[in-house]
Amino acid sequence: MLIFGVVIYPAIELVRASTGEYSITGLRRGSNGVENYANVLSHPALGTVLVNTLIWVVAVVAITILLSLGLAQFLSKDFWGRRAVRWAVLVPWAASLVITSRLFTLIFDYYHGILNVLLTKLHIISEPVDWLGDDTWTMPSMILVGVLVSIPFTAYVLLAGLNAIPGEVHEAARIDGAGPWQAWRRVTLPLLRPALLVSAVLNMIYVFNSFPIIWTLNDRNPGYTHDTTITFMYKLAFKSADRDVGMSAAAGVFNVLLILVAVVLYLRLVKWREEDA
Amino acid sequence: MGAIGKARWFARLAGVTALALGLAACGGGTGADDADNSGGGDSAKEIKVVIAEYSKDHTATFWNAFKKTYEDKTGVKLNLQIISWNDIDQQASTMVQNGNPPDILNLNAYASYAKDGLLYSSDDVLTDSVKSDLIPAFVKSGTYQSKMYGFPDLSSARALFYNKDLFAQAKIASPPKTWDEFVADAKKVQALGGGKIGYAQPLGPEEAQAEYSIWMFNNGGDWKTDGKWTINSAKNVETLQFLKDLSTKDKVTQNNPGKTNRTDGAFPLFTSGKAGMIVGFGPLQGDLDTKYKNVKYGIAPMPTKDGSAPQTYGVTDYLMAFKKKGNQDAIKKFYELYYAKDQVNTWIKSEGFLPVTQSGLQEFSSEASLKVYLDTLPNIHLTPTDDPAWDKIKLAVQQNLGTAVSPSGNPQSVLDDLQKTAEAGG
Repeated sequence: MLIFGVVIYPAIELVRASTGEYSITGLRRGSNGVENYANVLSHPALGTVLVNTLIWVVAVVAITILLSLGLAQFLSKDFWGRRAVRWAVLVPWAASLVITSRLFTLIFDYYHGILNVLLTKLHIISEPVDWLGDDTWTMPSMILVGVLVSIPFTAYVLLAGLNAIPGEVHEAARIDGAGPWQAWRRVTLPLLRPALLVSAVLNMIYVFNSFPIIWTLNDRNPGYTHDTTITFMYKLAFKSADRDVGMSAAAGVFNVLLILVAVVLYLRLVKWREEDA
Repeated sequence: MGAIGKARWFARLAGVTALALGLAACGGGTGADDADNSGGGDSAKEIKVVIAEYSKDHTATFWNAFKKTYEDKTGVKLNLQIISWNDIDQQASTMVQNGNPPDILNLNAYASYAKDGLLYSSDDVLTDSVKSDLIPAFVKSGTYQSKMYGFPDLSSARALFYNKDLFAQAKIASPPKTWDEFVADAKKVQALGGGKIGYAQPLGPEEAQAEYSIWMFNNGGDWKTDGKWTINSAKNVETLQFLKDLSTKDKVTQNNPGKTNRTDGAFPLFTSGKAGMIVGFGPLQGDLDTKYKNVKYGIAPMPTKDGSAPQTYGVTDYLMAFKKKGNQDAIKKFYELYYAKDQVNTWIKSEGFLPVTQSGLQEFSSEASLKVYLDTLPNIHLTPTDDPAWDKIKLAVQQNLGTAVSPSGNPQSVLDDLQKTAEAGG
């Protein structure tokens, strides 16, 4: 029953919506077969959106995992105030994404944002940068926020992974004469593999579907220059001149397929490398 | 698959798929084939009223009081829902899609709903005295195929706001009357330095059509002429080129106007005293009078290209009523109460907007601060909200106009595209 309500019913509705012809008011006029899918595939912005999505997901996930590895390593050490630091790391995760994103629109603001003030004072930049308006900076700025909110979860998954590694293993490695770097690479990293895998896959899906960051940080920009598939879908349904629920639903079906393909590809890749090694 | 078993991976993947499907399906829902059959019974015991939030402070206050008066008077329960402007399009669309539209909806567009046959016309739900009291310009904009479906709830008119202190410092004697004077004055303000901006220009997606309309009308252009779309007329291209030149050639605007929204971008520049001029309206005036008292401002008619009589751009929003079995009487009573002088004018005053009725014009005429708008209200220029195609064109304008004023933007081709969209029926 639960599975039906949560999984199957929405899926059926999504597919049903994707084959319907809808008026701008949301009224269903009838069925129009695969036309919505064709319209999505022939949409002039589709290429831009797909490239953006790829950059967004790969950059956020890769940078997040790299930084989280370091952070988890640090948090697993015993030091004074560790508990406080662990709590502090959790905060960006606990805060609502919309609120965090909104906060960053203020931080990044060209005229009033503190980032420009700070960087100007430190003489890193001589003129303010339009972080959210300048096309070269928009995506990096969004990625920064994406990484920041993804780190807590990832760091904790990796921390749990680190804690699960028995101390004797490290001791044995040391006795065998391995340096710290060698021990980490040869012993810690392979044992962290399951945790890395879980955090990578979950992050991929989560970042892929992340709506609030892209939407909030990019809402002042016209067109589709910095949209990912998820904000593209929303604009198709409610903001663009297409304003078509059916087309948006079709894009939604593509979105699900795209995630599946990405995850399967990733798992394949990981498996292949494992067999290779 | 390393440490995690294959079966468990499939289970996990299935769970993940479900999650993704669930997320993606948020936009889905059931069809609304039977929109006008829902409801039921001979006379509705309750009606659902969806209102747009004009301001955090006043909207809920007025409508809660209205709800109480309405319920006491009619015995019909008024189910009130106030939704922010950011979400109301989406929510309204979802309600219709799910076959559960509200009885009354407050929105800035109605024609597509009328075209879909979802709405009552004024003949069904307005009394004669209300009909004759509405200002003709708004009756016209609310009329689709010779019947009125969009009932105006309030209106606003735009005018040029200027910072008196900055004008004095730049030695400008009076607000500009022509575009040439406007550019010259803006340059003088910009030349003051210290981050001062001649003109704050919002052409981002929030309300690009408004900023463009007011300049367009003051160059003798229009969206539609004699029933035909004229979006890419020579005058309109000239107007958009002028707006682009302000930032790219004359350099008298804030950074990146094509990506600046009004409320969170341009208005703060004016209320913080940085901008010399901006197109403003009643609520901005209200903010300046209460929250930003250190900004000394004046209000002037818009400058025109050649110095001819200034045109006023106006906006009205609508309270449309959805056809459902048994709700007609309750809706009629709703409008009777809403358009009563002590209701509609209280509401409009508290939100800082302008009246939509003749009796309202009279009541507001004593307020000196509104004179500049009220004089022009009967001859106000509106966007073609009576054409369902406009509902889509407006979205296209909001999403795309900003790209025309970037340094590499091309006003002609952006307007050509919009014209094509319009001719294709939106």
